Amino acid sequence: MTTETASAVTLPGGEMLAWSDRTDSAGDGPLATLAARLVPAGARVLLAGPHGPALLDALAHARLTCLLRGYPDAAVVAGRVDRVLVAGPHGLPAGEEYDVVIAGAGLDAIESVEGERLGWGGLLARLVAAVRPGGDLLLRLDNPLGVHRLVAAGSWYAGRDDAEWTVGGVLDAARPANLEQLRQRLAAAGMRTGACYAAYPRPDLTTALLAVDELARRTTSGLFDAVLHTACTDGYTGRFVLADPARLAVDALHAGRAADLAPSWLVLARRPAAEPTDPDDETHPLPGGEVPGHLPVALVGGRAPDAPVVEVLDGAQGWHWRRPDGAAHVGTGAAPYASREVAHRDPAAPDGPVPDGRLLRSLLLDGCLRRDTALLRRLLRGYADWLDSQAEQGRLAGAVALAGADNLVVDGDRWAVLDRSWRADAPLPVDVVLARTLWRFAADLLTGGYAHPWTSTLDVPGLTVVLGGVAGRDFDRAVVEAAMETEAAVAAALPGLDGAGRVDLEPSAVTPTDPPPGPHSYQQLREAWLRQREENTRLTALLNWTENLLTARERALRRAEAKINLLSGSLSYKVGRLAITPARMARRGARAAKRRARAAIASKQGRQK
Amino acid sequence: MHHANHFYGHAHVLARYAGLGDGHPPRINGYVQHGWNIGDGLAPGHPYAERTPSLLWSEQTRRRAWSVGRRNVTVIGAPFVYLLAMRPEEETQPPREGTIWYPFHGWEGQHVRGDHKELIARIRDTEPGPVTVCLYWHEHRMRRVRRLYENAGFRVICHGYRGHWWKDTDPQFLDQQLAELRRHRRVASNRLTSAIFYGIAAGCEPAVYGDPMVLADEDPTFGGTARIRRQWPQLHGEQVHLPTAVEIAHAELGTDHRHPPAALRELLGWAYPQEETT
Repeated sequence: MTTETASAVTLPGGEMLAWSDRTDSAGDGPLATLAARLVPAGARVLLAGPHGPALLDALAHARLTCLLRGYPDAAVVAGRVDRVLVAGPHGLPAGEEYDVVIAGAGLDAIESVEGERLGWGGLLARLVAAVRPGGDLLLRLDNPLGVHRLVAAGSWYAGRDDAEWTVGGVLDAARPANLEQLRQRLAAAGMRTGACYAAYPRPDLTTALLAVDELARRTTSGLFDAVLHTACTDGYTGRFVLADPARLAVDALHAGRAADLAPSWLVLARRPAAEPTDPDDETHPLPGGEVPGHLPVALVGGRAPDAPVVEVLDGAQGWHWRRPDGAAHVGTGAAPYASREVAHRDPAAPDGPVPDGRLLRSLLLDGCLRRDTALLRRLLRGYADWLDSQAEQGRLAGAVALAGADNLVVDGDRWAVLDRSWRADAPLPVDVVLARTLWRFAADLLTGGYAHPWTSTLDVPGLTVVLGGVAGRDFDRAVVEAAMETEAAVAAALPGLDGAGRVDLEPSAVTPTDPPPGPHSYQQLREAWLRQREENTRLTALLNWTENLLTARERALRRAEAKINLLSGSLSYKVGRLAITPARMARRGARAAKRRARAAIASKQGRQK
Repeated sequence: MHHANHFYGHAHVLARYAGLGDGHPPRINGYVQHGWNIGDGLAPGHPYAERTPSLLWSEQTRRRAWSVGRRNVTVIGAPFVYLLAMRPEEETQPPREGTIWYPFHGWEGQHVRGDHKELIARIRDTEPGPVTVCLYWHEHRMRRVRRLYENAGFRVICHGYRGHWWKDTDPQFLDQQLAELRRHRRVASNRLTSAIFYGIAAGCEPAVYGDPMVLADEDPTFGGTARIRRQWPQLHGEQVHLPTAVEIAHAELGTDHRHPPAALRELLGWAYPQEETT
């Protein structure tokens, strides 16, 4: 039975009338940007499963058909696309083919509670059949062993949510559980796999798509390091997790396993053309050069639904940034601590090269963990000297003035700001810029619970001063306070620019025994508790020591007083005191005379004036 | 403040460097290593409050201290290094001459076993120029010992009293030592001690030879003199390869770990000085 409820919405059967898949419209930016690159104008596109509005906007130039199981979701997109099918997979008309089929939420979200279940293999076969020869399939697969799973506070097998009417997982051999198995399954279905992207930070939120081959090759890339760290920190902010997902993701990068631990993968596969000589077959899109049709090595968005997506393209000169037209708008944020705005995003900045090198933050953390103070000295002195070389009359402006250790890359002696789009509005003194970078790093180091070469008695400003010393600069707390004010103003300006839900923490409120802002990780909460306990133990021991010392010194004082009393009462003391009495009296008289003379002179001078 | 922080005027030197003036130094929030040692940087037998920071001379000592269970250990470098930074060698310094010789001393509670006369003969045979013998204060006060060296024709000096329980510390101890070291071309001892490293840092050629005069009750925990000879053979002998010695002294005194004044104030707990600061 087919029932028409609106001109574009079709219900061929198997629909779920009260079900909705979309809960969060964030995180579709990178997928939308990628899809826009893949889909030529006028192409027939099937969007199988739920997709966000960003994707619909990005594919406005194509003829879109949506296959959705939930009726409320269909009602939202009706009118924005050519056709909406509200149905399970069986509702897809047999024999209908598309130039591009996109299953950006994976295959599970296509299966309805109504009707016969197809399973993962059956769903793939159904979608592959809908791809025309020479057409493309863009498919997401969740990783059963991704970062999200490793840090999850709850077990995956105890799923009780509404969507978990069945719990699919790694035990289901019919479903691929890693990228290689996915490639094999696609090949078995007659598809040729092309580009693969690791999608971070969560299966249900993708703010970063990173090419898996490049992730394996560029394990020390500052760009990947920064992108993974930011994506996983922002993506889990306010969530309770077992361990810091950002630490795990960056560690995986360095171990060459960031693709293996990605929460999900996005794979592009092409159905071979009927004729082997079909030219379409030869230009299968792969991440790489600037050849039209080639794909970016990275697509990075933000948590906000309208956050601009930045692409990183590979070219003859290496990697470079590319922002979609219109995304490089200027934003400003009002700062509570400053009388005017402190930072803005520069529209002219983005399309420059992506500098090579390692992220300063990771290098500094490594130096701290290994207690390699020589490395820390070299790095921080290099940074401070580089700041000096950029300064005009002791002040820094532009991107350099705002870039912290998480936005600076080092390649030998070469220093560069990774993302130059953030700019300071007013030039800042070099010392303040240096102190702000070091304060932020010190706060990360201490609240993150990292081992480091200094004592636990240092608070965050104290450690900042010490790090300044390691950088060969002798600034004190006054400079750190100025840097903290700048930090508060910049932090206040950022959400206004990004729209992201950053955690604003008053800089002066950060103490070494706090857990870090961002995700609420069990490990880091426990570490913070251990630091508090350690501090209590130290203070108790110090108190006991001080008490004992005080007792000893009081005893010594009593002995000294007794000795003085004894000597004061002795005959020799009394005789001696008597002997010097005239001298004492004379001295007293002389003092009085001097005082009187001074008073007289002063009053005389006053009268003369 | 732990009274050992005052030994040899260390706290005074650090306070001067930190910009707190010449007066009585404020309390240090930690224990400053008060001499070169092959253990955890703290003097055995001194009571310490658990987990109070140890402020050590070298990275090697820090690793060793950590491995024996010390925590909250950090490297700041030797106070002597801070003194060197405050008092760079002057251009007009008179030419260096002769050797300053430090016969090994124990501290007040220890008794050195060995023959001073034998040592004197060895010094005479070895040292080419005039010899200044620097005695530890309690040996300097022992007329018998002092006479032995004086009668040998050596100039006998003492850098001062290191102090005990905050009393009678000579705040100029290290200054006097540095001035003496800079008058001499060589520095020598019968044991590898702080003075040898100070001498190297002050521009002297080092030598370690002669009977090491073992202490009657020497603590064998960290291996004693035998281990020192095993670990630093390059520094033993009448002639020592100078560049190697300079490199080792650099590391052992933690020269590279010297902090600027503001950072030092933070590490010593002097960011907000107490009343007694001058």
